[in-house]
Amino acid sequence: MASSGNKSINAKLVLLGDVGAGKSSLVLRFVKGQFVEFQESTIGAAFFSQTVAVNDATVKFEIWDTAGQERYHSLAPMYYRGAAAAIIVYDITNQASFDRAKKWVQELQSQGNPNMVMALAGNKSDLLDSKKVASEEARTYAQENGLFFIETSAKTATNVNDLFYEIATRLPRLQPAQNPSGMVLVDRPADRASSASCCS
Amino acid sequence: MEKKRVDEHEAVPAALPKVDRFGFVKQEANSPDGFTRSKSASEYESCSFSGDDPLGLFVAYFLKKFRVSDAREERRIRKWRKMIGVGGNDWKHYVRRKPHVVKRRIRKGIPDCLRGLVWQLISGSRDLLLMNPGVYEQLVIYETSASELDIIRDISRTFPSHVFFQQRHGPGQRSLYNVLKAYSVYDRDVGYVQGMGFVAGLLLLYMSEEDAFWLLVALLKGAVHAPMEGLYLVGLPLVQQYLFQLDNLVKEQLPRLGEHFAQEMINPSMYASQWFITVFSYSFPFHLALRIWDVFLFEGVKIVFKVGLALLKYCQDDLVKLPFEKLIHALRNFPEDAMNPDMLLPMAYSIKVSKPLEELKEEYEKQNGKLSERVKEELQPS
Repeated sequence: MASSGNKSINAKLVLLGDVGAGKSSLVLRFVKGQFVEFQESTIGAAFFSQTVAVNDATVKFEIWDTAGQERYHSLAPMYYRGAAAAIIVYDITNQASFDRAKKWVQELQSQGNPNMVMALAGNKSDLLDSKKVASEEARTYAQENGLFFIETSAKTATNVNDLFYEIATRLPRLQPAQNPSGMVLVDRPADRASSASCCS
Repeated sequence: MEKKRVDEHEAVPAALPKVDRFGFVKQEANSPDGFTRSKSASEYESCSFSGDDPLGLFVAYFLKKFRVSDAREERRIRKWRKMIGVGGNDWKHYVRRKPHVVKRRIRKGIPDCLRGLVWQLISGSRDLLLMNPGVYEQLVIYETSASELDIIRDISRTFPSHVFFQQRHGPGQRSLYNVLKAYSVYDRDVGYVQGMGFVAGLLLLYMSEEDAFWLLVALLKGAVHAPMEGLYLVGLPLVQQYLFQLDNLVKEQLPRLGEHFAQEMINPSMYASQWFITVFSYSFPFHLALRIWDVFLFEGVKIVFKVGLALLKYCQDDLVKLPFEKLIHALRNFPEDAMNPDMLLPMAYSIKVSKPLEELKEEYEKQNGKLSERVKEELQPS
């Protein structure tokens, strides 16, 4: 499906997941190669971008990192609507965060872009001793729901680049980046949304 | 009870930290920008110092600061002391007699050494404290909250670069926990919401736990101004209303920028939700946040709109040239000259918003129902 020749794709990506799962830390690791033990809580949402090269194309991720708390739920649709990809993050040492991740998956399946590439990331894989969510359980769940699954550690950088790289390879690459500003985020009539979304 | 991992480099950092005048640890030149909070302006650079005990130095610095304050500053403080009276006794009388003098002086900035006391007087929290003896203690010691674990998870992520809040289980973190837990019990509909920690943290740098708690109550329950609990209730109804009002104010007062935002599909929630949720106490230069809070507590939330509009207005010529991505970045990282309170605040005061805010509120309520009704609906068990 991907045509030959160098291409540049803009892909809107959103991170969702429970408080303290490590969403901001994954982005910080991916975008800046850094890790902070006590990452300041995200209020509202934060925006970042990073480019990866896959095969014959470069994918520029336009990343929205969201606040994790349930109370902020009402702000989330604006960030996942029209997104080409989503990373749902949970903390492998926290069962409740895995339950919350499943809820996000359900919501994206019913409300999100149907072609969205979804990844399930079990973060904090360095904390093997306090692991509460078995890899098999998460992998099975991911397979059943058509998600790509990977365990990551923002702290040690394990699998972080792989996570984003894998998403990039799975993006439908039919459309070149036509509008540099091209992100749909606004809860407005669909005419605007469909023309600017990169993958819907 | 804390489940978070323990890092071997915690508590007091091994490297002696340099802190700014407010106790925030200074960033190294190569540290991440945009991820950790931005630091105070360079005007305070000369105030840095280092030592083995950052908290002690922080305190020592404040003591020293008042010894060396210049004559003008001393005169200013004397005027303020006279206005307040012993323990705040003359304050109400003075405000009634000369409200314009009070307003003018507050707009110039409350002297830092009196800030905590004055904040309690102008917010109405001092009265709440006096009317409710023993209540705070009851809430902290005897009640349990459903939000306790949520609060604990966020404690070390609130002002992580401030010496007072940096030490694991230190006095700063304990106070912050107590205030947030007490509030989550006091108002179980609000409970604990991310963002409240930054507000409580800012207050705790200027007053005791109990005082900070009652100031939070005064703000959210509306002791002097309209209640702001809608910022944190389910559905964040007041955040939504404020964003609607700001969006329209930008279109009306800064049409060129409003048009550019529409083209680039910038929604105010992308840059301004944290302005409202934390009243500029999150990722804003601290010296500016304090000056905004002085006015906010006396005049109400309209200063948040005014400051927001002033920032946009000041940077408008640059902002209209930027494409989406750079625009988002610029809206989260205003240049240092724009953040100078002595430039920005006078500009903010000159922007008139009271009437349009009222009209936009009515318009919003027509479209979405009244806030009080929406809140009631949201709180109905589904």
